[in-house]
Amino acid sequence: MNMATDKRKSHNGAAKIPHGIAGIVSLIIPGLGQLIIGEVSRGFILFSSMLSIIVMFIWRIELLAHLQHGIILKFTKALSLKPVFIISMCIGIAGLWLWTAWDAYRIKKIPGYNRLKIFILVITVFFLLGYQIGEINPYKMVTKFPETLKPLSRVLWPWKAAFTHKTDTLSAKAAILSPCGKDTPPPKTQALPDKPYIIADPTCGKLSTMDKDYHLIPGTTLTIKGGNFAPNADTEIWWVDPIGNKFRIRQNGEYIHIKTDSKGSFSMKVIMPYRLMPPSQEGKQIHHIEAIQETQRPGIVINDPLKLAVSRMVETIFMGMIATLFGILFAIPVSFLAARNLMSGSWITKVIYYLTRTIINIIRSIEPLIWALIAVVWVGLGPFAGIIALTFHSVAALTKLYSEAIESIDPGPIEAIKATGANHLQIIIHAVIPQMIPPFISFSIYRWDINVRMSTVIGLVGGGGIGFILIQYIRLLDYRAAGVAVWFIAITVAILDYVSSEIRKRII
Amino acid sequence: MLSIKNLGKVYDDGTRALRDVSFDVEDGEFLIIIGLSGSGKSTLLRCINRLVEPTEGHIIWNGTDITTADSKGLRETRRKIGMVFQHFNLVKRSSVLKNVLAGRLGYTAPALSLINKFSDRDVKRAYEVLERAGILNQAHKRADELSGGQQQRVGISRALMQDPEIILADEPVASLDPVLAHSTLSYLEKINQEQKITVLCSLHYLDLVQRYATKVIGLRDGRLVYEGSGDDIRKMTDAEFKQIYGEDAERVHAGPETH
Ligand SMILES: Nc1ncnc2c1ncn2[C@@H]1O[C@H](COP(=O)(O)OP(=O)(O)OP(=O)(O)O)[C@@H](O)[C@H]1O
Ligand SMILES: [Mg+2]
Repeated sequence: MNMATDKRKSHNGAAKIPHGIAGIVSLIIPGLGQLIIGEVSRGFILFSSMLSIIVMFIWRIELLAHLQHGIILKFTKALSLKPVFIISMCIGIAGLWLWTAWDAYRIKKIPGYNRLKIFILVITVFFLLGYQIGEINPYKMVTKFPETLKPLSRVLWPWKAAFTHKTDTLSAKAAILSPCGKDTPPPKTQALPDKPYIIADPTCGKLSTMDKDYHLIPGTTLTIKGGNFAPNADTEIWWVDPIGNKFRIRQNGEYIHIKTDSKGSFSMKVIMPYRLMPPSQEGKQIHHIEAIQETQRPGIVINDPLKLAVSRMVETIFMGMIATLFGILFAIPVSFLAARNLMSGSWITKVIYYLTRTIINIIRSIEPLIWALIAVVWVGLGPFAGIIALTFHSVAALTKLYSEAIESIDPGPIEAIKATGANHLQIIIHAVIPQMIPPFISFSIYRWDINVRMSTVIGLVGGGGIGFILIQYIRLLDYRAAGVAVWFIAITVAILDYVSSEIRKRII
Repeated sequence: MLSIKNLGKVYDDGTRALRDVSFDVEDGEFLIIIGLSGSGKSTLLRCINRLVEPTEGHIIWNGTDITTADSKGLRETRRKIGMVFQHFNLVKRSSVLKNVLAGRLGYTAPALSLINKFSDRDVKRAYEVLERAGILNQAHKRADELSGGQQQRVGISRALMQDPEIILADEPVASLDPVLAHSTLSYLEKINQEQKITVLCSLHYLDLVQRYATKVIGLRDGRLVYEGSGDDIRKMTDAEFKQIYGEDAERVHAGPETH
């Protein structure tokens, strides 16, 4: 023992316990060593950290290997599933355990001992646990990222879903009998003078079929001649079976199409496609081959996602506004009951004050989304549920803001107006109300801003507005249509932000 | 003439702010009240228009007792007593004109003030008063856009709109710098001399007291401890001044003596 520790001993009664003992005690129960030498809070923190780390570690093992019975089986199973985690945790816990003992031994012995290190170790072990509990996976984050690019790009630039070009459709059909023989084949179509036409030759044939190894046996090859189509334009070839199913014909895995010549005519060969007809199908089996040409026309068409987004956005803004309006109407009277300076008169008013405050705080602490879930059960899906949810939350939030505005009213002007010989009513009109109106307006606009924002997401839980269609598009994986909705939300919120901050700047 | 007779005030929490204070104020006097912080200056001034209810004694003004007036009588008394405050007590977000017009409330029918309306005569008066105070061009600004000195002129203008016979000024220059303090007090002095309005004013600085007072009273712990004329106080040395005033006493060494 050196001089320094001797001195310390004489200062501190608790230090009479030898360091060795403290270390050994801490080796048995982590933190106890620190406790008995007088480092009470340190010992307590180390003990509870150690305990919670071990409990959580056991919980993770249990989760990983809940099917196994017995500690050893569970542990080996967990080890085989997550070797890195289990081993590093074991090393961490063992290290921490030893370090705690070391800490108890050294803390009083070495002057200027760095007390921080052990807490860094504790935090590291907690971080390890949190990493596992949170299922953090940076590898997945990086490797899976490219998969998000496609939907992301659609969300960011969704306008294909919003607008399309106006198109003209030109089409012509020819009837084909299959199989040949039993019935008389339909007559050949004729070239028409002014309308698009196609002529199939022959007008009957065999469909492609499959052998038992699923190899395609090609059917009859038809020669298709077309005319009076738009010149130099792409033409798609479709097949219509007797039931009316219409599909594009594929050959060698590609949809077949052809470009018309400068006169709007074309000629091509098409193998009759594979088609499994139900055996119950009776009578004359007439198929059709169809040539379809879509040509762009000047002008654009506004598609449903855009129309829907606009109408839902309007609905959203009105939801926000109505909820704000109701909120203001209810909050103004209630806020007087929640203002301390007005309610400190007698014990009755004080009871009312505390009651109002408590109720308001409870309502406010429940998120509007939760209120919306309740309201959906109450009045069903739709904007009304959203309005109820937002109104509830607005009343509570506005009451708090308003009552604080009332509480912070400057008594100076009231005194001054009183001194001019004004009566009570005049004092209220000339000293109280002028002070209250600006914060009231400012808070109301702020709330309107929040409510419109909130109403964009309240639809996610069925509360109406644009969120309602947004969540549907996302569920249908229609990222472009979802993107249109997202853009509308972003634009509206940005405008709102600007407008409300401008108005508030001018009032305050 | 205003006579304060054995005035006493005990606040609800038991604080004795005034004890047995008696003195007289002649019409046209510029009375300055001095005393340490907490000595009861504000309480005394507020007892005179009963913003604070006195608990003992009487205040006799032109033969009637203010302390026993009913609420209607009290309002009629109040409108004859203007008041100016340390922090101006303007409605900050209202216009200067509105603030000044508020001085007419004691004369306005409540129905009219309900719709926030004042007579054309009052509005014309307000502009005149603002012109005399040198802030006519600020009339339509918001009160809190003005400088401290200008705001105090709005406060004084509001008091003048009452056609007061007395102006109570509670540390009217304490939140102003020395130059503004002088110009504000000389404005009050001008009003005092030209319109024969009695001024009761609490002040902190000895040279301001010496410069403007025609009569001085000193308070200490709510008691009247000094009463003298303006000449008396002008002869007083710093040491004597500190005796009544306490260690807080300070001089202002700025601002021209006359305006
Ligand atoms: N509303 C009140 N309730 C209880 N005590 C009060 C109240 N107003 C003032 N007092 C007390 O009365 C005493 C006199 O206060 P007053 O404000 O009149 O002093 P003052 O001379 O104006 O001080 P200052 O120079 O700081 O303004 C002080 O002790 C003060 O704490
Ligand atoms: Mg005071």
